[in-house]
Amino acid sequence: MLLCRVQGNVVATHKHASLTGWRLAVCQPIDAAGAPDGTPQVAVDPLGANIGERVIISSDGLATRKLVGDKKSPARWILIGIIDEIEATA
Amino acid sequence: MKLGRVIGRVTLNQVVRELEGARWLIVSPFTRDHYQRGTETPEGMTREPSLVVYDNIGGAVGQTIGYVEGREAAMPFDSPTPVDAIDVALVDEVVYKP
Repeated sequence: MLLCRVQGNVVATHKHASLTGWRLAVCQPIDAAGAPDGTPQVAVDPLGANIGERVIISSDGLATRKLVGDKKSPARWILIGIIDEIEATA
Repeated sequence: MKLGRVIGRVTLNQVVRELEGARWLIVSPFTRDHYQRGTETPEGMTREPSLVVYDNIGGAVGQTIGYVEGREAAMPFDSPTPVDAIDVALVDEVVYKP
């Protein structure tokens, strides 16, 4: 699972049928201090996170397939929570 | 899923039976400094290593696509298939506000 900041979303008319109707959020992985770390990842977002919100995304493809209701979906990353507060030491 | 620009295509002469007739694209992944904003695919390549993805939705050179890497890439196939990257979306527009 990765700590991320939501930075936008993707619009695609032509896509795998299992992704129809789902918001695809652009999630930038960040460190505990909030600095960007690595390339942005696009996740299926069932929660409707706003741009600028910090979230957790998971690479659990099984959970994503259950969410979209298609056993043969290639979707992998899923947005699983919106963060209130992070307590980080060091 | 990650986003990238299609920079080429691959055709195969000899191929394992599961993948006969498949279409393949060469993709240069976007980085956070080189990301699509709006509807225009950014020109050029990034420093990220390019990869080959299986294409089932008709991606073309110059387009932005979304692709999935890992075990999930083989999920759409009925039988075990040696694919670890698949194209899942032809991207029309990206809202990107870092």
